[in-house]
Amino acid sequence: MDYNFSLVVSAFPLLLMGAVVTIKITAISVTLGIVIGLFAGIARISSFWPVRALAAVYVDFIRGTPLLVQIFIMYFALPVLTGQRIDPFIAAITACSVNSGAYVAEIFRSGIQSIDSGQMEAGRSLGMTWVQTMRYIIVPQAFKRVIPPLGNEFIALLKDSSLVSVIGFEELTRRGQLIIARTYGSLEIWTSVAVIYLVMTLTISRFVAYLERRYKIDDKH
Amino acid sequence: MISIKGLHKSFGKVDVLRGIDLLIEEKEVVVIIGPSGSGKSTLLRCMNYLEVPTAGAICVDGIMLNNESNINKVREEVGMVFQRFNLFPHMTVLENIALAPMKVRGASKKEAVQAATELLQKVGLEDKAAAYPEQLSGGQQQRVAIARALAMKPKVMLFDEPTSALDPEMVNEVLDVMKKLAREGMTMVVVTHEMGFAREVGNRLLFVDGGRIVEQGEPSEVFAHPKEERTKLFLSKIL
Repeated sequence: MDYNFSLVVSAFPLLLMGAVVTIKITAISVTLGIVIGLFAGIARISSFWPVRALAAVYVDFIRGTPLLVQIFIMYFALPVLTGQRIDPFIAAITACSVNSGAYVAEIFRSGIQSIDSGQMEAGRSLGMTWVQTMRYIIVPQAFKRVIPPLGNEFIALLKDSSLVSVIGFEELTRRGQLIIARTYGSLEIWTSVAVIYLVMTLTISRFVAYLERRYKIDDKH
Repeated sequence: MISIKGLHKSFGKVDVLRGIDLLIEEKEVVVIIGPSGSGKSTLLRCMNYLEVPTAGAICVDGIMLNNESNINKVREEVGMVFQRFNLFPHMTVLENIALAPMKVRGASKKEAVQAATELLQKVGLEDKAAAYPEQLSGGQQQRVAIARALAMKPKVMLFDEPTSALDPEMVNEVLDVMKKLAREGMTMVVVTHEMGFAREVGNRLLFVDGGRIVEQGEPSEVFAHPKEERTKLFLSKIL
């Protein structure tokens, strides 16, 4: 068995460029996913049933279907409906954010429900509205508690973003495929790709552990 | 100040309140006692709609509690102090007190902080402004909770067993603040087991059992000469 290190070295800059794209798509999707998830998570516990039902349908649909299928729907099926081609980058970001939002919604929902109900009562009894109490009292406390599961979601999404390679979007995995098509170096390239993913996920989990420690020290509960 | 007519409240099949009629005058200090499960806390929590009545009408300071905007309006005028304090753990003591006046009353930060500082002096905790709730003792936390409710300049204060979660040596510091409030003419409704407090500052004592007001009257009179059998039985167990 020959392991061609020079191939690794020559392919490395191209793979790194792919990794940068992977980070970009993950970072944008996680950010949008957190925004979507925060609202969807709060909607899940709304006292107004149509809002609650809508959020439940969204979460169930996304969590009950594969991300790969969702990407196909976004990139191939929707243009059939609208008659307009969609940019792979937009399709990838949209599919990943909407997907991530559903998981984040459940994280926020459980985080919010873990806050003692006396906090909502205290806020409401002071004359604050439900929305004000959520915003100033409940969500800030819930945020600290959801840092670890949000970190897991970040890592999961970073790995799952490899799926957007199927629509020809050139992130890390797709870069690897393209280089292999040219060089036939399956062994060298796939192992390199794996190592790059590993470095990225380990970095994130370290960062999340750091945040968790910081907020623990900070946590005045 | 507070008028309650035909108040019923059930949780599922359990009837907790079975017809309460009550009129509370301005500057009155009403103490509610009763065995656990008698409905006394539920009655108090209906007064600011933390519990939604099953039937009956509640009117506070001339405002009917019947829709969302009225409920918020009433809550601005009715302060509440909880058994478990329910301070906001992620905020300092000062922020706990200043938050609602800024968000609800639209007070400026400067006004709110100034008012909060004065209230902290009133409850004897001016040196704890920058502390977080968990750094305080239970008694101190409850005094902050009282200051937080007072910051909204309420016309009525509701106390839901304010000393029940406290270590015995901390009960008095909280009661002292409450007595001071009563002497200043605050309208107060207090659910408590502190009979000394009831005797000293209460204008009226209500004995609640089985979801009804069984007996009421001037506290020392009720303690000395309870008319109802159930009141006698209850008082004999706690006095």
